[in-house]
Amino acid sequence: MNVHIHKLEKIWLTFGIAMLIVFLVVLGVATFSMGMAPPSHSHAIDPEQIENTPPFDEPGLKQVGENEYEAVMIAYTFGYKPNDLTVPVGATVHFKVTSPDVVHGFAIPNTNVNMMIVPGEVNHITYTFDEAGEYLVLCNEYCGGGHEFMRTVITVQ
Amino acid sequence: MAEPVIKRDNSEAAKSTEQTTEKSTLKGTFVSVMILGGFLLLSWLLVFMLFLSRQ
Repeated sequence: MNVHIHKLEKIWLTFGIAMLIVFLVVLGVATFSMGMAPPSHSHAIDPEQIENTPPFDEPGLKQVGENEYEAVMIAYTFGYKPNDLTVPVGATVHFKVTSPDVVHGFAIPNTNVNMMIVPGEVNHITYTFDEAGEYLVLCNEYCGGGHEFMRTVITVQ
Repeated sequence: MAEPVIKRDNSEAAKSTEQTTEKSTLKGTFVSVMILGGFLLLSWLLVFMLFLSRQ
């Protein structure tokens, strides 16, 4: 069988395949060697026993290193516990969030922090607050009648 | 007698198609594929840079 591929066809096939390889390699390197993975973690919890399950029996901010914190939070209808967090400028915060009731969202606008909070699962994300200010945290999964009031603020100073 | 006639017709058709492929120009297709490819590359880069700036 004699397969003939036009010269221009060869060019665009090479271009397309090269582009695909570059995209996948960049994403792979960013995910596996630079930790830029989307928020996802296999960490189960009994949603009815959250109040008695460490660390969610004491939600709050804990210092785990030099300017490094762990924020244990509960997203419920219709708010976040603890409600107001304050961290210093440049702090790296490891968020651990779960829900005792329905699916919620946890999004900080204009950052890459955006994850679903599913009851029965603990979702994790890490963010470094390099600039001072007030960071709004919003629920972006419709969770019921008070969904639009579900918010909190993280103060960075 | 019918079979050889059909065979001859087929080979002639194949020959003429081959000739058309050889002579056909793919310049327009090439340009449109490159425009589409450029759009994909540019939009991917923009979204990836947005992601990096928010990291």
